[in-house]
Amino acid sequence: MNEQLLSVGIDMGTSTTQLVLSKLHIENLASSFTVPRLVITNKEVVYRSDICFTPVLADNRIDMIQIQQFVLEQYEKAGITKEDIQTGAVIITGETARKENANEVLQSLSGFAGDFVVATAGPDLESIIAAKGAGAHTYSKDRSTSIVNIDIGGGTSNLALFASGDLLDTGCLDIGGRLIKVDQNSHEITYIAPKIKQLAERRGIALALGQRVTPVDLEPIIGEMVKLLEESVGLRPLSDFYDTIVTNKGLKLDRNIASISFSGGVADYIYNDATGDVFQYGDIGILLGRAIADSPLTKQLTVARAVETIRATVVGAGSHTTEISGSTITYTDESFPIKSVPILKLSVSDESGDDETLARAITDKLSWFKLNNDLQQVAIAIEGKSSPSFQEVQKYARGLHKGMAELLEQQYPLIVVVHHDMAKVLGQTLYALLDYKKDVICLDSVVVDNGDYIDIGKPIADGKVLPIVIKTLVFH
Amino acid sequence: MNEKDLKSMIESILNEMVGNAPAETSSKPAAPAPSAAPSVAVAEPAQQAQPTASAAAQPTMAPQEQMQEQVDTGECLDDITEINLRKLLLVDDPEDREGYLKMKEKTPARLGVGRAGPRYKTITSLRFRADHAAAQDAVFSYVSEDFVKEMNLVAVETLCSHKDEYITRPDLGRQFSAETVEYIKQNTTKQAKVQIMVGDGLSSAAIEANLRDIVPAITQGLKMYGLDAGNILFVKHCRVPSMDVIGDATEADVVCLLVGERPGLVTAESMSAYIAYKPTVGMPEARRTVISNIHSGGTPAVEAGAHIAELIKTMIDRKASGIDLKL
Repeated sequence: MNEQLLSVGIDMGTSTTQLVLSKLHIENLASSFTVPRLVITNKEVVYRSDICFTPVLADNRIDMIQIQQFVLEQYEKAGITKEDIQTGAVIITGETARKENANEVLQSLSGFAGDFVVATAGPDLESIIAAKGAGAHTYSKDRSTSIVNIDIGGGTSNLALFASGDLLDTGCLDIGGRLIKVDQNSHEITYIAPKIKQLAERRGIALALGQRVTPVDLEPIIGEMVKLLEESVGLRPLSDFYDTIVTNKGLKLDRNIASISFSGGVADYIYNDATGDVFQYGDIGILLGRAIADSPLTKQLTVARAVETIRATVVGAGSHTTEISGSTITYTDESFPIKSVPILKLSVSDESGDDETLARAITDKLSWFKLNNDLQQVAIAIEGKSSPSFQEVQKYARGLHKGMAELLEQQYPLIVVVHHDMAKVLGQTLYALLDYKKDVICLDSVVVDNGDYIDIGKPIADGKVLPIVIKTLVFH
Repeated sequence: MNEKDLKSMIESILNEMVGNAPAETSSKPAAPAPSAAPSVAVAEPAQQAQPTASAAAQPTMAPQEQMQEQVDTGECLDDITEINLRKLLLVDDPEDREGYLKMKEKTPARLGVGRAGPRYKTITSLRFRADHAAAQDAVFSYVSEDFVKEMNLVAVETLCSHKDEYITRPDLGRQFSAETVEYIKQNTTKQAKVQIMVGDGLSSAAIEANLRDIVPAITQGLKMYGLDAGNILFVKHCRVPSMDVIGDATEADVVCLLVGERPGLVTAESMSAYIAYKPTVGMPEARRTVISNIHSGGTPAVEAGAHIAELIKTMIDRKASGIDLKL
């Protein structure tokens, strides 16, 4: 059996908006003599859109009509319709995520692009998606090494650290190619981002709007920006400005990093030399790329070539956001897709006690999800146990049943997400406790945490598995 | 250890080696009483296995005391089969420990066992023998009668009269006497939707390890689909095709046999479920659907049970099993 999913990825970034179409191949890798084990075996990008500037209206809001037109045009060019799209993700990144109507645009575009195209946002997620699109996680897995990917775009540098294919940490710095803009013809500075201005003042570097500059004039400030990047991966002790330049958080830097890869628009000028005028894009992107190429970042770390650079984020959104659930699961309701359900992950101590402890923990923590006393739809996540006894399964089911009492009154099905392989039996036990009257969706082999959201699509592979997207929805 | 203790220890060892040979010839007045010597010798090996300082400390006691000490503590050797082999790397000074362990996570094969000269290390040799012994035990032992009672199973047996016959005569392991068939008919529901049976097969250990968890999972799952499991049979000296006889005797739509798999060195507790739609004696093997590898390191018993329940439901709906059933 080999099934294919057509997936779309759309990235609305600070400066550009892009779209890709990917094919995800799904196969049952288990022999005919065991329970099925479906996995995504291959991901291939089948269509890459043009890169357009993110359209912004006069009042600094995102121009949704234009973006929708862009999506329609690209679908037409690729020879597909919205109905052909089975999964995918829209990600809103960088400055664009800070626009007033960011959430609204994101939500409506996700529905516009396809039934199960999910909305995602958040600096950590950006870092992860870009790194996966760049191929950093595959590199670290294949070579059993650690690697940091820095996705350097117009406004931010997103860091993600992987070791042997596992994500360890993420970080984000306000360093990018368009934080200083230079007029293509007159070479006058037309824009300086506030933090860069502050950095220049702190270091005593003269930098002013309207100043006519040469690449040499910009060397000192770009040098400072590169130094901060060196600090961010542990090649240099943290300076007094590091905390200021960090967007939300930096890497923990508690281990040595072996390799580095670069993605984002600036990456092209790290890996390759630019031809033509360095100010051809009206910014310092090319100069920043060159400076990084000459810095300890590439000299002290092993440089891995990213499989995608400027398209890393959009390829990540298209190819690396959709996962599939474990192959032995329970769902008694078919009203998919279910979108953007927040996760309540219980702690290990909540789980290790008896069913009463579990029930109390759920009841207590559910109150976090109350908005004006109204409980939202919530998915409960547990670790579970590898190879539990039937009694342990019953304990979990009783605890969940009691703890989720308040959720039972809602019209939605109960959603339980388990890490270990026990969802089919747990779902059936829970369904029995509910007297077969309340629908249950119980998934396993999924790792989630508090702060995550889950989207669940229509069953695939003869109903054996559900496509899912685990994501965040954080707007700056 | 002083000379006197050393001497008495050597004497006991020698005594053990030659049996109850008279100790007088070599013994001096200071030596332990001959009558006590054999007992000490019996106790000795356990003590020798202790790698701690206790071996050095103990011989200062009188032999009698020493013996008593051994009996009282009831100590035994650590069970080496408890060690998780996937996390045990015996290679001295590996180039990339993390990478090695990562590789070992993916296979139960005995990788990274290191060596002592041209041979296995002692722990590797012992573990190999221990696993082999567990496999043999699983084949040659029986599922206990208490367990059959506890699980509320209806116990029957095939035409084999003992294990040797079971091993050497596969044909007998798939047949029942006329009286047994009659007994089966009386104790099961005629033309039930599903008949579950359990067979010892080649691993009684697999049955005792998994049945408590898989049976309630299957029956709960069946109930969800409105199916009743009814009485469950237990077949001693069971070969897989015995389920065909049960199919003919009960006329059940689906027969599900939970049977112990031939044990290997990875686990002796692996169980399979053979499931067939209206099985009948002489039918092609291709009509059986099998779910194998049910054990704590493979498919968890509870999860397999939930899956089996659904599979049975599918077979009843589609009236097919084995390669006729496209899943």
